[in-house]
Amino acid sequence: MRDTIKVSISGVRGVVGGSFTPQLAAAFAQAFGAFVGRGAVLVGRDTRPSGPMIERAVVAGLQSVGCKPVLAGIIPTPTMLFLTRQTGLRGGIVITASHNPAPWNALKFIGSDGLFLSPNRAEDLFDLYHQQDFPLVEEADLRTEQIEPYPVESHVKAIRAYVDTEAIRARKLKVAVDCVNGVGALYSPLFLKNILGCDVVPLFDTPSGIFERDPEPTPRNLDALRQAVLDHRCDLGFAQDPDGDRLTLVTEQGQALSEDLTLAFSVQQILEHHQKGPLAINLSTSKVIDAIARDHHVPVHRTRIGEIHVAQAMLEHGCVAGGEHNGGVMIAAIHPCRDSFAAMAILLERLATTRKTLSRLHADLPAYHVVRDKLPLRSDLAPAILRAIRHDLEPSRVNLSDGVYYDLDDAWLHIRRSNTEPVLRLTAEAPTLTQAQTLVSDMRQRIETLTATL
Amino acid sequence: MTLRLASFGMRGFIGDSLSLRAVMDYTSAFATYLDGGRILLARDTRASSPMLHAAAQAALMSSGCEIHDLGICPTPLAQFATPALHAAGALSISGGHHAAGWNALTLIDSTGALIEPVGGEAILDVYHAGDFIRCDAHHMGSVRNASDLSEPYFTRLAQTVDLHAIRAANFTVLIDPVAGAGCPFLDAFAHTFGFNLVAINAQMSGYLPREAEPRPRSALPLAAFIKHVKGHVGFVLSSDMGRMSMVTETGEPVSEEMTFALLANHVLTKHPGPLATNCCTTRTIDDIAARHNVPVTKTGVGQALVVAAVLDGGCVLGGEGSGSAVLPAFSRGFDGFMMMAHILEAMALNQQTLSTLLQQLPRYHIVKRRIPSEPHRAYPLIEQLAEETIRREGPAERDLTDGIRLDWESGWMHLRASQTEQVIRILSEDHQRETAEARAERAVRWLSESR
Repeated sequence: MRDTIKVSISGVRGVVGGSFTPQLAAAFAQAFGAFVGRGAVLVGRDTRPSGPMIERAVVAGLQSVGCKPVLAGIIPTPTMLFLTRQTGLRGGIVITASHNPAPWNALKFIGSDGLFLSPNRAEDLFDLYHQQDFPLVEEADLRTEQIEPYPVESHVKAIRAYVDTEAIRARKLKVAVDCVNGVGALYSPLFLKNILGCDVVPLFDTPSGIFERDPEPTPRNLDALRQAVLDHRCDLGFAQDPDGDRLTLVTEQGQALSEDLTLAFSVQQILEHHQKGPLAINLSTSKVIDAIARDHHVPVHRTRIGEIHVAQAMLEHGCVAGGEHNGGVMIAAIHPCRDSFAAMAILLERLATTRKTLSRLHADLPAYHVVRDKLPLRSDLAPAILRAIRHDLEPSRVNLSDGVYYDLDDAWLHIRRSNTEPVLRLTAEAPTLTQAQTLVSDMRQRIETLTATL
Repeated sequence: MTLRLASFGMRGFIGDSLSLRAVMDYTSAFATYLDGGRILLARDTRASSPMLHAAAQAALMSSGCEIHDLGICPTPLAQFATPALHAAGALSISGGHHAAGWNALTLIDSTGALIEPVGGEAILDVYHAGDFIRCDAHHMGSVRNASDLSEPYFTRLAQTVDLHAIRAANFTVLIDPVAGAGCPFLDAFAHTFGFNLVAINAQMSGYLPREAEPRPRSALPLAAFIKHVKGHVGFVLSSDMGRMSMVTETGEPVSEEMTFALLANHVLTKHPGPLATNCCTTRTIDDIAARHNVPVTKTGVGQALVVAAVLDGGCVLGGEGSGSAVLPAFSRGFDGFMMMAHILEAMALNQQTLSTLLQQLPRYHIVKRRIPSEPHRAYPLIEQLAEETIRREGPAERDLTDGIRLDWESGWMHLRASQTEQVIRILSEDHQRETAEARAERAVRWLSESR
């Protein structure tokens, strides 16, 4: 494991036991407290074993600058975002490294609007951190921590009000859910059973933070879920990531679907049964969304990678939904945030209202093939590499808002630096798998040649 | 405000020198020195203590420690608990006798004594190097609440006194724990020793209802009503329960110097043996030791030094004029509950009032003064003041154990830069009150003119 610290709009990440120390977490909490001002700040975490340690450091850091920490305990990231806005607090800090492996942890910063800090505001926060000159308060201005008594109720209520709960409950669907030993372990089986009336087969539902499968919910990591769906004859399988913002699907035939399709089905359901309106997706998201949008005559806005960019585009253009290529579904009527709980509800509603199987729904969608690859690359080399590959491509087809996005009408290739790891991510989508694979492997070869000459 | 680092702890001002970074680094250094293991964590009730507790907990977990959390717990109780719970060490967060706004971390070794200087220096080296044990995510430390220790603690304490005699005396005892860590333990204390408890300042508000240092001035709230409730004795404590001064049944606040003196006289009557005290404690101690024909070891100022001398010298008791004492047969810390229990025993066994017991002690008059001075100026000023004093008051015996002590035939004077505040402390004691006061006043005037 490389010991590194990564500060980006996605938060501050690092390896616990390496550079991600309680001292660092306390100092970032101090900077955040200084940034939002004295007042109540929500603190939540996922199930990682380092969570309680980092939580103590964050509590002390917030107190030292006069904030009152309000503890939400182990809580899904979307619920934290929802609760921060709902309770009108100054902001929130989530302690989660999301889909990163268990040795990692991270702080993510939420504004009072219930959204992650925008890039400009995150810059201001990091600026405060680097000055290390925190407005420490005297003893008389210190505030004791408090426990949030009802952390999940308002979020569940909002989802319940949005979907046709009765229709879903009436279908009594059988669902396998892979909680990856994350926050879902505490909430998802209960949510599916009690709220949506499903017959639930839970998997990896011990909230230990010791992930029994690779924490990224990509199709290749879901063998156990696929098997469970077949063994228990489930209508579908859900796979979450450790902090519950992303969702991947497995069909009743045991096929794990590309994460893009989670968004595709959700968007179809929203446009058909809820509200028609514009969509926002990031550059790496499948063209299948454009195809659905065309059918419903609504525009699609493409943004840079990063949840906050999509959220901002949704607010700016009045989008009804948005999302990402990684299984992130954002429903404006609930909140413009990636939310696997809202996604589960809307997908069950899709099955309930169409009365079709998931594989049938899948077959009805236009086929696209996505190939993803990643290439380890020192962060400092990335800009030169990205500049060099640009020159090989036709300028009118290149979008530079995030790395290099090369649009080929019915296909595309996207090369960008990860916000969370020292790697370059290569993604291509094309109507055939071979076409997509060729796009990625050619580019990978080109980058490896370039790297060797640097 | 300065950060004060001693071998056994760190003190500083909240919102200023006692930063989270300093607290977490120092705690990490302690955990690194102990190489993880079981560590007890205690705190007092000050408003800043929960924050420091959270910071210390994060640092200890990061170093893989098995934390037994004592929650709100007096430092002496944590010292008793460390060997009892087989812990590698303990960390106590308490402002002790310091003024509002201050707080401190005190490091305790596996025997319950404050970390001795050699260990303390090793911890400071780790602190300055910043090279701490950091465990990975799968080896994080754990936290559990320690079991309630008040029962074994008071049971063991009761075995060191004639419990029957104390219970039979049916005392009414007034206690002022300055809203500190002692508050939750007063009922169990009263229950065990069978006295009628009248407690004031016993609500844990997080703030100091009076000056935290036990001395006649801070005893006034308690002294004001002791006669109305027919109290036999009043006890005034620091927020960590490490220091204590008394109020008599007539409502007279007693100098904190008399706490150790009365205890020494009583303990030596039961078990004669050597004593240890610091170099600026009242001569009453020397007279009492002479009366019982036992030696007195003199040390520098501070619990760590006095307790080390008690253990080295096989002493039966150690203490300081600040109102503190350690009974090595019981624990290795200055302990307010122990002091109270033994004063009650002295009253019960002698069947005498506190004022009568005090009248039997040799009497000196001690005057304590404090003069503001920046730390970098304090040391040369003390040197010059000592020379000036000898020139004016006549030849004296010089002792440099801690600060400068000058001894004359009838009295002595001690000059020392405070370790906790930016002041020079002057102690002047003599048979004659006028002489003690005059010596102190002349020193204060000289310092004021030289600043």
